[in-house]
Amino acid sequence: MISIERTPWREMVNHAQATYPNECCGAMIGTIDGENKNVVHAVALDNAHEGSQAARYVLRPEDLLRADREARERKMDLIGIYHSHPDCDAYFSETDLKNSCPWYSFVVLSIQQGRFHHANSWLPNAEQTHADKEELQWPES
Amino acid sequence: MARILIPTPLRQFADKKDTVEANGATVGEVLADLTTQYPNLRKQLYSDEGKLRSFVNVYLNDDDIRYLNKDATPVAAADTLSIVPSIAGGRKGI
Repeated sequence: MISIERTPWREMVNHAQATYPNECCGAMIGTIDGENKNVVHAVALDNAHEGSQAARYVLRPEDLLRADREARERKMDLIGIYHSHPDCDAYFSETDLKNSCPWYSFVVLSIQQGRFHHANSWLPNAEQTHADKEELQWPES
Repeated sequence: MARILIPTPLRQFADKKDTVEANGATVGEVLADLTTQYPNLRKQLYSDEGKLRSFVNVYLNDDDIRYLNKDATPVAAADTLSIVPSIAGGRKGI
């Protein structure tokens, strides 16, 4: 299960709404206790996709490296990645799957008409062929 | 010995360490030593064909080794290697 605390959740939703109708992306930092992950900090990252960002996002690995360093400095862990789906459900698309990595939780925020609608978390496999849904809790959920 | 930063989800395959040291004069040799020390890491980093998985990037300090000399990039004892995934996506099909 992954839980997101109030402050990072607000930042993630604000980020996703501010970038609408484009997709946003970022990293989630926090703690892990067995199967339970707790997100304490959200790190907004640039969508580096060249071209329309209405339906695509790309994370620069060097940005992710910086987020990992920030997590280490905070004595925490890089837990996952978030991105938004503007005017679309929070499913894990074929594009998400084929460009994923099995090491992190992937939280998808559905933004409908510019406002947060719902969210899901996904755990893709190493072969990038399947993603399991992960229980997700946020403050208003 | 070079230092290798292990991403959180892979620490379970490296005796729960966040940083490990490995020997080698090149990136390829250091990674080979890493996966010899921690064989369970190999499946996480390499495909069955023995190639680095498509989503795995290796950084030597702040530089992506793809833009250096890839596996043959020289490594000094003071260097740090980081394992960083490629991540992208989007709501529409590819």
